[in-house]
Amino acid sequence: MPIRETFWNIPQWAETAQYVLGFITAVVFVYGIVRRVMRWRQGQPDKRFDHIGARLRTLFTQAILQLRVASEAYAGVMHLAIFWGIIALLIGTALATLDWDVTHLFFGFQFLKDGFYIGYELTLDIFGLLLMIGLGMAIYRRFILRPKRLQNPWPTLTRDDAYVLGMLTLIAITGYLVEGLRIAVTQPSWANWSPVGNAIAALFIATGDPTNRILHLSLWSFHILIAFTLLASLPFTKLFHIAAVPTNIFFHSLTPAGTLSAPRSADSVGVKAWKEFTWKQILDFESCTRCGRCQDVCPAYASTQILSPRNMMIKLETHIWEKANGRQLHSDVITADELWGCTTCRACSEVCPAFIDHLSSFVDMRRYLVAEGQVDAQLQKALANLGRYGNSFGQSERMRAKWTQPITSKIKDARREAVEYLWFVGDYASYSPTLTEITSKTAQVFQKAGLDFGILYDGERNAGNDVRRVGEEGLFETLVEKNVSVLGKCSYKKIVTTDPHSYNTVKNEYPRSETSEVLHYTELLDQLIASGQLKFNKRLGYKVTYHDPCYLGRYNGVYDAPRRVIEATGCELVEMPRHGDRAFCCGAGGGRIWMKEAEVKERPSEARVREAVSLDGVNTLVTACPKDITMFRDAVKTTGNEERLAVKDLIELVYAAL
Amino acid sequence: MNIVVLAKLVPDLVEELTIDANGNALDSSFARLIINEFDDHAIEQGILLKERGGGSVTIIAPDAEGADDVLFTAAAKGADRLIKIKGDFSNVNNHALARAFAKVVSGIKPDLVLTGVQAHNDLDGALGPLLAELLEMPYIGYVSAVSINGDKVLIKKEYPGGLLAEMDVQLPAILGIQAAEEPPRYVAVSKVRQAMKTSSIEEQDASNLDPCGGSAIGRMFQPEASSHATMITGSPDEVAEKLVGVFKELGIV
Repeated sequence: MPIRETFWNIPQWAETAQYVLGFITAVVFVYGIVRRVMRWRQGQPDKRFDHIGARLRTLFTQAILQLRVASEAYAGVMHLAIFWGIIALLIGTALATLDWDVTHLFFGFQFLKDGFYIGYELTLDIFGLLLMIGLGMAIYRRFILRPKRLQNPWPTLTRDDAYVLGMLTLIAITGYLVEGLRIAVTQPSWANWSPVGNAIAALFIATGDPTNRILHLSLWSFHILIAFTLLASLPFTKLFHIAAVPTNIFFHSLTPAGTLSAPRSADSVGVKAWKEFTWKQILDFESCTRCGRCQDVCPAYASTQILSPRNMMIKLETHIWEKANGRQLHSDVITADELWGCTTCRACSEVCPAFIDHLSSFVDMRRYLVAEGQVDAQLQKALANLGRYGNSFGQSERMRAKWTQPITSKIKDARREAVEYLWFVGDYASYSPTLTEITSKTAQVFQKAGLDFGILYDGERNAGNDVRRVGEEGLFETLVEKNVSVLGKCSYKKIVTTDPHSYNTVKNEYPRSETSEVLHYTELLDQLIASGQLKFNKRLGYKVTYHDPCYLGRYNGVYDAPRRVIEATGCELVEMPRHGDRAFCCGAGGGRIWMKEAEVKERPSEARVREAVSLDGVNTLVTACPKDITMFRDAVKTTGNEERLAVKDLIELVYAAL
Repeated sequence: MNIVVLAKLVPDLVEELTIDANGNALDSSFARLIINEFDDHAIEQGILLKERGGGSVTIIAPDAEGADDVLFTAAAKGADRLIKIKGDFSNVNNHALARAFAKVVSGIKPDLVLTGVQAHNDLDGALGPLLAELLEMPYIGYVSAVSINGDKVLIKKEYPGGLLAEMDVQLPAILGIQAAEEPPRYVAVSKVRQAMKTSSIEEQDASNLDPCGGSAIGRMFQPEASSHATMITGSPDEVAEKLVGVFKELGIV
């Protein structure tokens, strides 16, 4: 009768030693976990216990099903194989313990017998194989393929990586060997149900007893020893991610991606030393598994290599464990160049399988730099202009609506008459001389659609999206106050914006009462086309590609509306390899457009233009953000693609198709 | 070290300037004011000196729209004392301004007075020298570096053609700052707001503003387009003939 004979060939002393070792392991493990949690608790408070249901759902899809991990083929298969392999073997071990140490010991019966035991053996054998395949893939990738994103800034991390992979592999191999030796000696009739174990047994049958028994006991002891060692060291190695990542996923922010947390101190000075981070931000650092997906999608890394979101997490994690050695968070650990390099495109957080919110920490550190006046001359000028004139161009607010002058039918002043749509035009669309033609076309399209709309004329100020992300919270508040006070005096039903950056902050960060409904103009056009209010007379027939602006796509999930509008104009849309939530930032966001550009081989905007040019037959790059137009028109010139690629705003297609 | 910095506001050239109805001054009702850029450098230099060698910095500004902002911003940078001179300073000349400043400054007994070397509405840079005369202190203008050395300051003075001179000046003295050693720093809005809460502006009356000694403006106007050059084209013979015609017309030949 098939039954599990636990501790076959294991003398009493070894069995006792195993329990003692298990107890020591548990003590070290608990100490390691407590030590980590104590460190998180040195951070600032942050309420993350709301919406338990939603949090549990994400925990299930992302920590158990690991959908985000699985979104990459190789790494996904690799990680899921290791994960499920270990989970199955853990359950197997738990069942064996239950069978032997509970039901057998106290109640005198075993459930690991007959058909159930045979199924148990077969399942574990297969999952063990799965684990071996996953580990093989991991070893091959880490040590043979050696992708750039897995390269570590210092060697202790590389040792940590090797330790974890080596130990897991040893546990799996010794586990199979122990099983094989047991089968070789006992040769049970159900051995065929352990295909891998049986195959190994075949190698040892010739060796015979007592060699096999001695080998079995030695390998069993070794297997137990390394298994407990790995378990005890879990909280001290990268394996800690097994605990940290699900915790981080559970506590991840449920507010919209476009809502940045306000500074925690009343004087908005941001984070100077690590204990000023929240416990959740510290948990972010601790959750990083160094997988490097963020680095692969980071436009700042791609162009300058000054910053890698992965390395910043690694450095921050290391820093919080440093003994007091005088190293300062700013400059010693994280440099100002790294912080200013970020375009806040959010590509990193979008792909992070651990749900790390990189930007919240980056902006908190930028806030400190701003409070200390550590900003470059160009950014200082832009901020001073924004403070003084409400726009980064340093022009009088009286010039804000100058672009309306050539338009024959006057645009309503929303401050004087009630309108249905209040059009928040934004700085770039209002002041940039190269963009006012596009802005004027937007007005004309609105007029032709018979829209009841108005603008704020000189009452509008920069919405403050990028001011906030630069870290100038006080200025952001000032701009919001001014805009809100003007909006409060207007009568309107909906706000429509040209700039996705304005859209994001007005929609997600302005006081609710002032922002009943906020639309991006692409969403409005989509609605007007669907309702038949906007009709086209022409089908353009261009072959175009579309660049998703970060603050429209990744931040607010508006991917389909602009695509439907493009289709409605009769254009054929060809997607770039990186589109939708993987769209590659133009490099202007987060205030980068105001800062001095670093000397680089290829700017993000140039890489993006080349990506568009490489598409077969595409001669137009369409986008829906004034900053994108500025960046890409420039990049088309600097890459010598003026003949091959036209950069157009979506509204230009709409205007041409009317 | 008791440092005093004088800061005045000037019309912001971002706005179009208009001449008032009398035709001899700017229409101040339309002008938006901004701190004189050179005075901003003087403030920065004052703060740098304090940071390096201690002491206190007092900022004095004549009353105007935006003067409070200028003073609080300076406080956020590190100024200790803020004084606003009350009075109608729209369209006053340098003589009146110097007298108003002199009265307040002499009450403070400073070791060092810093002011912008000039302003876009005072390209002569007369304010510093006039003040020096009234306070009986030495004056040096076009200063781009200052270090305090006992009862003297060692300064760098700029000359045309990129030349620099170093010289000692006995304190107390007045310096006209061309550029601070570091560009004026950025102060976060939150810091300015904090300064508004923690510091206060003292007000002193200018009593009467005496413009005596200054020149009077007869007429202020936008540059008037002069007549354009006429291009003479054609073959050499034609050009010569036309040229002779012009000479005749002008009565030269």
